Amino acid sequence: MASIDQQQVDLSSAIYGQFGQTATHWRRVRAFLRFTKRNKLGALGLGLVTVILFFGIFAPWLQRYGALQSFQQANPEFNPTASPFDIAANPDKALSSPFILDRWKSPLSSEHWLGTDANGQDIYARLVVGTRLAIIIGVGASAIAVSLGTIVGIFSGYFGGKFDLVVQRFVDAIQAFPGLVLLLLIVSVMEKPNLAITVVALGFLGFASSVRIVRSSVLSVSQAAFIEAARSYGATDIRLMLRHILPNIASAVLVIFSISIGVYILSEASLSFLGLGPADKTTWGKMVNAGRQSVDLHPWESLLAGGAITLTVLGFNLAGDAIRDELDPRLRGR
Amino acid sequence: MTNYIIRRLLLNVLVLWVVASLVFVATHALPGDFAEKRVAASFELTNQEEAIKFARKELGLDKPLWHQYVVFMGELARGDLGTSYETNRSTWSELKERVPTTLELGGLIVLVSFGLAIPIGVISAVKQNTWIDFALRTFSIFGVSAPVFVVAILLSLFVVKTGIFEIDIVGSPHFWSDPVGAAKLYAIPALAGGLSGGAATMRILRSQMLEVMRQDYIRTARAKGLNDRKVWMRHAMKNAMLPVLTIMGLTVGGIVSGQIILEQMFNIQGVGRFVFQSLNNRDFPPFQGTVLVIGFVIVSVNLAVDLIYAWVDPRIRYT
Repeated sequence: MASIDQQQVDLSSAIYGQFGQTATHWRRVRAFLRFTKRNKLGALGLGLVTVILFFGIFAPWLQRYGALQSFQQANPEFNPTASPFDIAANPDKALSSPFILDRWKSPLSSEHWLGTDANGQDIYARLVVGTRLAIIIGVGASAIAVSLGTIVGIFSGYFGGKFDLVVQRFVDAIQAFPGLVLLLLIVSVMEKPNLAITVVALGFLGFASSVRIVRSSVLSVSQAAFIEAARSYGATDIRLMLRHILPNIASAVLVIFSISIGVYILSEASLSFLGLGPADKTTWGKMVNAGRQSVDLHPWESLLAGGAITLTVLGFNLAGDAIRDELDPRLRGR
Repeated sequence: MTNYIIRRLLLNVLVLWVVASLVFVATHALPGDFAEKRVAASFELTNQEEAIKFARKELGLDKPLWHQYVVFMGELARGDLGTSYETNRSTWSELKERVPTTLELGGLIVLVSFGLAIPIGVISAVKQNTWIDFALRTFSIFGVSAPVFVVAILLSLFVVKTGIFEIDIVGSPHFWSDPVGAAKLYAIPALAGGLSGGAATMRILRSQMLEVMRQDYIRTARAKGLNDRKVWMRHAMKNAMLPVLTIMGLTVGGIVSGQIILEQMFNIQGVGRFVFQSLNNRDFPPFQGTVLVIGFVIVSVNLAVDLIYAWVDPRIRYT
């Protein structure tokens, strides 16, 4: 098999020989095609992640309305500031009151592709705005957890001793909490949690498990002969950690980073669903909760937002699995 | 072995102490306390400042933080989990009402999750790379990815639209008093929680089964003429279950988290809902006490899993 690949590569470089750059490009494309053929689910995950990133990055240009603009097309006489007294004074226009008017609109219209919610806000626009938030939260929390976890994990695994003992008991304690309770606690510390606090809280939650994984890979790397060799050359502790241990656990770190993004998106959705997400932002979890009030009559808001969460987490999970498989070929195909 | 158990138990006490201190520090860092909340609720008070001061004194919140910490730890050491500010009842008696409900739902969730995970994991491995495997893997990865509340909403939508049964979320039936009502109430949360809790186990069981199937003793079992069924059930599954056991221990925390959401959604008066409500009310003593109880359960389950591990697999010896 390998020899056939080699032949094909040789062939392509023979054809594209005069454009050296193109040949390496071509090789990369073909390597990617081989990957999609070998790992169909991983390719699906990468595709999903690409779509999600596209929506997240270009969110402001992909929708017309913004997350908070509400609409009154259903009733031109709609008066958003009408009070119950106004309605009592003018009963035949009662329908135009914000208290009575049903501002739900079904999906699949040219104005509102995915319909509107109970406040007459465009669901498609809100979903697109939520995409960017989900990505910021997932990637941000994962980056915080992994970088903190790597630093503490390397120190803890490399030095061992008392520091290691204290760190391990602390990690034990965090893991003895059910994740959501800890999150609720951290987020409640702030009266109105903003995006940054949510991300940091999620990162703190994930910090414990990444310390575990980093520490155990540091322990196994530390036994290797090349560490002993470097030490005998007189390398300092810092140099050993940065130049010799870190590069060797980098793939494990990358795997934790990519695999846990989905978990954080899921946790944030749960927080938002319980009403404790970032206070001033439109998130998918909040949309699911808002739509739940009248889910039997207008199911689409809950279902669309829930579907968005599921597909996003699915995409990041599959892509994370694929990255792990590529970096650790022993696990390939399982 | 006895030494090991004693050491682990001591370690667990240490871990629970860290948990208690963490909870204490975090709850006292919360802005706004119960005294403010209670005073703010009564409009007719003219002198708010005085009233807040009085309420703090009554609740013992005016003492310095270290003093409160010492009192809290002293109460814990005597097995006293504190008294609710809101209802003035001890945390134990509040929990006593709610634990049966939570155990009913939690037990059902555990049953559903293993009932789904074990057959699906095994079948998926036995039929590796067939369309059955593909379908089951798709199912399990969706189970991992879908939030528990979305699954619950889908299921309740299905039940409401088809009208199979009516869900009564007002009362709080138990299996011993009103089995039909309890079954109706718990059916959707148990299915949703079980699916979310079991999905990860399905995937791990499948990969463990595939790993075990490449071992020499499986080839030996086949060589001596055992049929497929015996090889799979007697030789492969038993060995594949070991790492799964650890994961099952770890999912307990996830199940508790899921239960907070599900009890909140379906108005089930259990421990999960109690934790959430008391945090929202800034009613610290029952919150701290309940979190400690949950932490105790999780730590004990993990210890139990480690001990079962040694008992099931004679190669493992703890010293």
